[in-house]
Amino acid sequence: MSQSQPDSRMQVAVATIGAALLLTVLLLISVSSTPYAAVRAFFIGPFSNRFYLGNMLNVFSMLSITGLGMAVAFRAGVFNLGGEGQVYVSALTATVAGIALASLPALLGLPIALLVGVFTGAVIAGLSGLFRHLWDTDELITSFLIASASIPIVDYLIVGPLNDQASNLLTTERVPLAFRLPRLLAPSQLNPTLIIALLLLAAAYVALFRTVRGYEWRLSGLNRQFARYGGIHTGAYIVFPMLVSGALHGLAGGLFVYGTHYATLVGFTAGLGWNGIAVALIAKRHPLGVVPAAAAFAYLESGARIAMLHTDFTFELGTIIRAVIFLFVTASVLPKLGISTRVGRSIRLLFRGGSA
Amino acid sequence: MIYYAIEVMAPLLLAGLGGLFAELAGVLNIALEGMMLAGAFAAIVTASLTGSILAGMLGGLLAGLLLAYLFYFVGIRMRANIFIVGLAINLLAAGTIPFLSSAMFGTKGVLRLPNVPRMPGLFVGVETGFPLLDQILFGHSFGVYLTVPAVLLAGFVLRRTAFGLRLRSTGKNPETLRAVGLNPDRYRRAALLISGMGAGLAGSLLALRLGVYLPNVSAGRGWIALVTIYLGYKRPVGVLIAALCFALAEGVSVAAQGVLQIPGTLLLSLPYILTVVAMIVYSAMRRVAPSDA
Repeated sequence: MSQSQPDSRMQVAVATIGAALLLTVLLLISVSSTPYAAVRAFFIGPFSNRFYLGNMLNVFSMLSITGLGMAVAFRAGVFNLGGEGQVYVSALTATVAGIALASLPALLGLPIALLVGVFTGAVIAGLSGLFRHLWDTDELITSFLIASASIPIVDYLIVGPLNDQASNLLTTERVPLAFRLPRLLAPSQLNPTLIIALLLLAAAYVALFRTVRGYEWRLSGLNRQFARYGGIHTGAYIVFPMLVSGALHGLAGGLFVYGTHYATLVGFTAGLGWNGIAVALIAKRHPLGVVPAAAAFAYLESGARIAMLHTDFTFELGTIIRAVIFLFVTASVLPKLGISTRVGRSIRLLFRGGSA
Repeated sequence: MIYYAIEVMAPLLLAGLGGLFAELAGVLNIALEGMMLAGAFAAIVTASLTGSILAGMLGGLLAGLLLAYLFYFVGIRMRANIFIVGLAINLLAAGTIPFLSSAMFGTKGVLRLPNVPRMPGLFVGVETGFPLLDQILFGHSFGVYLTVPAVLLAGFVLRRTAFGLRLRSTGKNPETLRAVGLNPDRYRRAALLISGMGAGLAGSLLALRLGVYLPNVSAGRGWIALVTIYLGYKRPVGVLIAALCFALAEGVSVAAQGVLQIPGTLLLSLPYILTVVAMIVYSAMRRVAPSDA
């Protein structure tokens, strides 16, 4: 991951989103019987009414938190690729805690339930940090594997022991009424998570860029050896960033339950963790960059979801979009197209700006 | 059960051997899972179109090769993060196959196509008088017998040829290679393409043995294949032994599922748990004895 070419990385991010947009439109045109309506729905659907707009903002707030969770880890040079599982498991533990504490007043019960989620996420991610610290086991792989292992277990618990017998859906019981966060833009799912997300982004910015610990955190990410020579206890900046990253994912899981769904449903995280990685990479690992990146992603996701209503069959358009973004987002060299004609040169010049 | 284990071992081994080349060239190919899945889907479609098992296997191999080239192009040529690109390839397979399946055949579930021939067995009915030996050696589906030359070939290429030596030094110390005027990227490309072919072929064996394409038919086997590389100490024969152990374990767990009534959903997490344990053990042992292995 080169830090030295910010301009080229910016172009890569823009080109990546552009490629994803183009592919989405092509896919929609090819599978829809009313291609014009589908493409139109994709582009302006998210803004067409309160419901869609509020839902998009809700997706934005969730992605801001998971994206921030990834960005803070990446900043310290550690990778947390288990966000999806961390959100899912934490959502379940937060749900169970809330149901168990139903007799408490909401002002006490809700924070405890959310903290249980935060704690769960921190422990799962922290394990990978610990393994890396103790035995130099690549935290990138272990975080991914632990998350992948935990997802089927949560699936099993929701369908089996924790299933809501009264409902026909694959879901747990719903959390107590008093604990649920209010809706801000009914009938959409928008809720105070948005405010929490924005506060977290601001806090992370201050912590990373305006404090000594934040400086050490970033320095460990830029050059671990240099940081160690400078007297920074770099081992701590492996475990601790993983803990914080997991905690943010845990919080996202809890808020997803108490703000949006009021229960844990099978597979309801639907890529929140994965998209968080994409958001953090597009944001160039900067807390403030998370805002436009999460907004772009929320727009892409919402548009795709609305446009799917205009296609003849459903498919995982979100997965394909995500795949394309992952494929190119970390690239630091744009491909040489092998065209030496004048057209080729001007295309390359266009992509690389003045530097070519 | 031994018979079943040998059948299960074949795809694991082929994917593992391919992945071994990539690993030795210093590129961890975590996209084996997606490549296997693509290979399985392509194999069923080609076998149905041509009515030939061999063409089906070739189709699977080419699908793996295609994804491997994409991996190389973005991960090596465009200098992207190898792990993120690997994940992208897995996602691409997981997202594109249901799309293609519903666009072409109108279903994203079990794909049962006409004209797919049965995988023929070899040495059916041959007996030595020792039932255990018979179960290990004879009557397996055609693909299983590919693994024997594959292990020998992998060992020969990696240990006894200039290409193998250069490929291994690409992983150990690419600067040396560059110093003698060779381009490490070419060896990384070759290694990735070999791993793509191995995984694609492995996927085709999975699907052609069943005669249908099941969604998520690989079920974490690409990850297990990755583990066999580490557990096999990065040697072809080691990969063979590790793959056999996993295959026996799967045979036992399938049997146990019936007896102990473990829910099938929970078994889905087993490959990942095993992989993470293997990785931790591997790195902890490497720490104790940092000299070799």
